Amino acid sequence: METKNDSLSAQQSLDVITSMIRQAQGNVSRSSFYFLLWGWVIAICNLGMYFMYKLHFYPRYAPYIWLLVLPTYLAMFIYGRKQEKDRIVKTHLDQISKWLWISMAITIAPAWLFGDKLNWMINAVIMMPIGAATFVSGIIIRFKPLLYGGILFWVAGITCYFLPPIDQILAGGIAVVLGYLIPGYMLRNQREKDA
Amino acid sequence: MLKELDPLLHSQLRLGVMSLLMSAESAEFVYLKEKTNSTAGNLSVQLDKLSEAGYITIEKSFNGKKPLTTCKVTKKGIKAFEEYVNTLRDYIKK
Repeated sequence: METKNDSLSAQQSLDVITSMIRQAQGNVSRSSFYFLLWGWVIAICNLGMYFMYKLHFYPRYAPYIWLLVLPTYLAMFIYGRKQEKDRIVKTHLDQISKWLWISMAITIAPAWLFGDKLNWMINAVIMMPIGAATFVSGIIIRFKPLLYGGILFWVAGITCYFLPPIDQILAGGIAVVLGYLIPGYMLRNQREKDA
Repeated sequence: MLKELDPLLHSQLRLGVMSLLMSAESAEFVYLKEKTNSTAGNLSVQLDKLSEAGYITIEKSFNGKKPLTTCKVTKKGIKAFEEYVNTLRDYIKK
């Protein structure tokens, strides 16, 4: 690109602006890391707890499987810090995406902490905001499997209102595998193809 | 009578940089260089001009041992860019 300014017509100026904006459009981070990390952890927690209850394998300790969430937060924080440092461009959509998931985590935290007040109907409550965040992420990065993932979470969330708590855990596990892990792997495969 | 186009923005490289920064929260020097397909020397001069006019801020830092130059558009820069586009629209309408 040169710096001559006398030869720049109005049309050329417009062409520069549109071509640069088009260049910048593809810059939303399409990281599959978070979907795979959380997908695996939440799937293990839900399905692990379900099978511990069903197979009478130390059922008293089954809820403690959720402690896995704590090191996951730490891993996410460390990875996020590193990624922010290495990123050469930060877009508004990256910021929106980040805060969307932080807001979602804040929204669902009370249901996890005070599950007894909800008669342990936790998954019914938390799957709706997870569905919203997944769906909006699909819109932001223009990735259809995440849109379907979001819809699936909504369907699973509504279904959970009609299920006993233990079956809600199974529904949560299935929803995470289908609505989160599978789109996460599809996103990773697409990234590898594009690279 | 048509308004004059802002001479600071009416240059291919500076306009390109401003258009990129309008779409981003912040961008590194290497990113701008790659997207505008310019040389480091030329880009550096043009960034300084935009910074002196208060259209962008340039922050120098380090990522480990690697030096980083991060650019951000300012409120003044956003206003100037919007005015430039509006004037451009008048030119095209004419």
